[in-house]
Amino acid sequence: MIAVAIDENTEAIRDFAEGITFPVLMDPDHLLTELYAISNVPTVVMIDENDRIVHPNWSAFGTDMFREFTGIDSDRQHDRVRAWVGDGRTELTDDEIRASVGDLSVDEEQARLRFRIANELRHRGDEQGAARNYTIAGELAPFDWTIRRAAMPLQGEDPFGAGFMALYDEAQAAGRPYHGITGY
Amino acid sequence: MTNDTAIVESTGTLTEQQLIDIGWELRPEGLCQGDTCVIVPDRSALVVDGAVDLVVLADLLDRPAAIDSLSGLAAIGAHRARRRSALVDLVAPDFSLPDLDGGLTALSDHRSKKRLLVAFSSW
Repeated sequence: MIAVAIDENTEAIRDFAEGITFPVLMDPDHLLTELYAISNVPTVVMIDENDRIVHPNWSAFGTDMFREFTGIDSDRQHDRVRAWVGDGRTELTDDEIRASVGDLSVDEEQARLRFRIANELRHRGDEQGAARNYTIAGELAPFDWTIRRAAMPLQGEDPFGAGFMALYDEAQAAGRPYHGITGY
Repeated sequence: MTNDTAIVESTGTLTEQQLIDIGWELRPEGLCQGDTCVIVPDRSALVVDGAVDLVVLADLLDRPAAIDSLSGLAAIGAHRARRRSALVDLVAPDFSLPDLDGGLTALSDHRSKKRLLVAFSSW
């Protein structure tokens, strides 16, 4: 297992990672969301011994805490992962895998770049410039949680508060867009 | 990796040094990185008044670019070929990121093993 934190909050991630022996990596620039077209977390990708993607972006939760909230049954996901590790069974054809993620649009690419510019401006003390670019990023990719929700704590907003609930409602109304597979 | 993301001070052009800083060099053969060169079909579109046009450069390298004129910062993204590898070829693109102790770990450090890549966050 390789865990990548789409996050710059090293201290919060360090707390999560306590006692964990597999690699936990920091990705504050959200490189992974660009390389793998990831639009929300947690997202799981299954990669075999030959670097083949055998199960693409998967909205998977490791605990049942989220089951009621999302309707996603984590026991079935654990079964699928166990089956793969045990005997290589993955149940998806290459064509099904290709059809299930969808490339980033030009706007979604731009949103990631604007998010990085915003981060840099915030680090340089230009809060206005940062806010301007986080806003542009959010307008370019309104249903990308790695853009809109990730920006909340970076601007002093609680990512588990009212802003999050509003984002959730918007995403629901739009059919919960996600680059990958959900709902097992 | 120099071909990951980059933030540069730019309102539209790059100096020769900035080009080198992001890992590329303009030679007679074209736009080069080590032994790999990209042909430049129209050099006069790429280099204007001694400076490299960022949008033209990004197109040649097939990487996205965004310019925030107000702050004078621009961002260049990853080569699209890497995401195509994931989405079309179904081959996991390699990447290298720091662990919590600051050391770098690459996906390829664990090749020849099944890997469960999990993107997560504190938000």
